[in-house]
Amino acid sequence: MRAGLDIDMPPSNDPFYAGLGQAVRIGTELLAALIVGGGLGWAADTYLFASGPWGMVVGLIVGVTAGIRNVMRAAQNWSK
Amino acid sequence: MEESPLHPFELHNYIPINLFGLDISINKAVIMMWVVVGLAAFLLVKAGRSRRMVPTKLQSLGELLVEFIRDIILDTMGKGGLKFFPFIATLFVFILFSNLLGLIPGTYTVTSQIIVTAVFALTVYAISIVMGFILHGVKFLGILVPPGTPGWLLPLMIPIELVSQLARPISLAVRLFANMTAGHTILGVLFGLAIGGGLLIGWLPFAFTIAMNGLEVGIAFIQAYIFTVLTCVYIGDAFHLHGADDHAH
Repeated sequence: MRAGLDIDMPPSNDPFYAGLGQAVRIGTELLAALIVGGGLGWAADTYLFASGPWGMVVGLIVGVTAGIRNVMRAAQNWSK
Repeated sequence: MEESPLHPFELHNYIPINLFGLDISINKAVIMMWVVVGLAAFLLVKAGRSRRMVPTKLQSLGELLVEFIRDIILDTMGKGGLKFFPFIATLFVFILFSNLLGLIPGTYTVTSQIIVTAVFALTVYAISIVMGFILHGVKFLGILVPPGTPGWLLPLMIPIELVSQLARPISLAVRLFANMTAGHTILGVLFGLAIGGGLLIGWLPFAFTIAMNGLEVGIAFIQAYIFTVLTCVYIGDAFHLHGADDHAH
């Protein structure tokens, strides 16, 4: 079936597009965790405890950790 | 000439409609969404209509598409995931068509509105959460504890895993939105340079515009593909609590 047609989805076959897809995915993975971590910390500071900057600081650190963990998890599956 | 490169993303209401305080005006994005849905439905119905042994061109394209999505689901979720085929196929086809049609000059890219991608991402995430709680009950909360975590690390791991879980819908939504917006902004800036440069030097950015447009076609496929794969991974996570991520590529 596959061989019958010249058109094929680029991500699955072409290594250039496969790599591009992975790169594009990793970037946002980091960013999103940072947004969530920092955002939760900021919300806790502002609405819950009035605890100055510390909630956001802790939240950002947790966010960075979670982001790196997400990226590691995603990258582990590609090296196989 | 002093026009913002983000100008094409602004929406103007063509037909203002106000329903009980709800703004459902018809604008560019809405019309484009109708076009996307209409064209996708027309082509796929036409492809599915002709069931010949030796397929027509459109039919083999349709079969290719169905097989492609089926392979993604089997790779990431296994056989049980085929229940979700209609949902995932619809998502993939809609995103792919709106990305591709948006590349035609003069049209509008629906997926460059973050509300569109956010609604998709939140729907996917809500499905995965609800499915998880239906299938596993309270045990589904175990998704917050990676297997093999020593007890004293729990106070540290649970917040990290919680954030990484909550980051999923955001990364889904932001990735698609940002890639589409950035790509079209670059195209707009380059084309602006080409117009401003005149004949002497303007051909250079114009050539880049064409090259970038080619790359954007690839990006359109990749973004639809990534969104679909991650949808499968996230819903798959709800099926088998740990280890679903291992099947993703």
